[in-house]
Amino acid sequence: MIHILQNALREGMLNIRSKLPTFLVTVLMVSLSFMVFDIFLLVSWNLEYALRSEQENVGIEVFLENRVDEAEALRLADLISGMEGVRSVYYVSPREAEAVFRADMPEQADMLELLGPGFHLPASIQVSLLLEYRTAEKVGTIARTISGMEGVADVMYGEEYLPGLTRAVSVLEKLVFLAGLVLAISLSLVVANTVRLAVAHRALTLEIMSIVGAPAWFIRLPFVGEGMVTGIAGSAGSLILTWAVSSMLSSTVPHRFLPGNWILLILALGAFSGAAGSWIGMRSGFRRPRR
Amino acid sequence: MIVSFNNVRKYYGSWPALEKVDLRLEEGEFVVISGPSGAGKTTLFRHVWMGDLPTTGTVEVVGFSSDGIRSGDLPLLRRKLGIVFQDFRLLPERTVFENVALPLQVTGTPPKAVRRRVFELLADMELSHRRNSFPNELSGGEQQRVAIARAMVAHPVLLLADEPTGNLDPEVSRKVIDLLVGINRAGTAVMLATHDPRQVPAGAARFVYLDGGRIVDPSYWDGYDQL
Repeated sequence: MIHILQNALREGMLNIRSKLPTFLVTVLMVSLSFMVFDIFLLVSWNLEYALRSEQENVGIEVFLENRVDEAEALRLADLISGMEGVRSVYYVSPREAEAVFRADMPEQADMLELLGPGFHLPASIQVSLLLEYRTAEKVGTIARTISGMEGVADVMYGEEYLPGLTRAVSVLEKLVFLAGLVLAISLSLVVANTVRLAVAHRALTLEIMSIVGAPAWFIRLPFVGEGMVTGIAGSAGSLILTWAVSSMLSSTVPHRFLPGNWILLILALGAFSGAAGSWIGMRSGFRRPRR
Repeated sequence: MIVSFNNVRKYYGSWPALEKVDLRLEEGEFVVISGPSGAGKTTLFRHVWMGDLPTTGTVEVVGFSSDGIRSGDLPLLRRKLGIVFQDFRLLPERTVFENVALPLQVTGTPPKAVRRRVFELLADMELSHRRNSFPNELSGGEQQRVAIARAMVAHPVLLLADEPTGNLDPEVSRKVIDLLVGINRAGTAVMLATHDPRQVPAGAARFVYLDGGRIVDPSYWDGYDQL
């Protein structure tokens, strides 16, 4: 058995070595096909990343009534931190609010002087939410509950832009999934067909192996292995090309390259489509005896 | 009996390639299947290695029957046969050694045993000096000897030679036929398809004549006129 496996692997290497130019052309075609997919993923990934970063800022700002003292504010903060979906709370005292105002808007700091020493910015509680609660609907529900609490003057949570952001993230997720699926299927067919054509040139090898009594799996194994190697080499090549394009554009269009798990997905898709192409190619190369 | 055709008919569409063929081959026998081009010789051979199955009737070869053979049985059947073609069908990207070793490698024979057997056979075929050559570096006669070595390397029960001299000049053809006769004398059954039965020495083989897919009586066969 070990000898048969060794020989099957040897056959695979021999196939590649003996048709090196064909192999390289096939790898190049697979690389170029995959590059379209990689660029689509790169654009999608960066768009989604930007939207997610925006979503990261989603939170609730709870303004307290002037009569609420610090002890009561902290009790309120405790109460809010126990609510479902709340990750953390942070109490901002009137003094801290003023300091932040002066730091963030120094040109408008004079307004505070005009309003006189008796004026204080309201104390507030900043509420940070768990990721899955940062949708317009869920934030709205939490905000409404908080606004009904004793001592709360006003609640702000970006109600103007949050519904649009939530919709954009949701649409983008569906679009990436659907377009990705369609692209992955068409790409697999292109790669499978390219590898199938490469395998079809080996009709004589398939026939001779069958005639000398090679078991079907022995005949298929080297070809499927070759298809996988072609697919992986092609998808790796496409990643290198995409990375080169990405690097060239990084100074003019700031973006991030694909994350590790997406790279693994592309390589796995390459391996799968290459193996599938080989398998299909051999099915047409194998002529079963007919009555 | 190692080969038995029982009332075999083969139709490709409506075209009859074999008609009511009954044929037996005993162990160690040499049978020459002769007939003009298109007589059905190659079709008959394809039925022996079960590259085709009969439309009606039964073919039995070394214990395998066309009636119940499964895909998984085909390699087991073919390991008991050696097959030689007119166009040699050597793998062009492999050396002589690699071509001859192939039938042993696919069955998992240890590399040492493969080397020993291939070297022995190449010496018998006077091809030792060509073991690292590629098929396109060989003459037609040498290529056919390599094909015969590949067919014989796994000690087949039956050697099928389908027009092995079709692409060779008369002198080389005679040597190939002598080689086949020698193989048969060493105990291997041989089925040889040829359109020229005069190549085979009288008394060395049994002759079967095919015409239009039917086995015909040699006394009524006018094939010689066409040679």
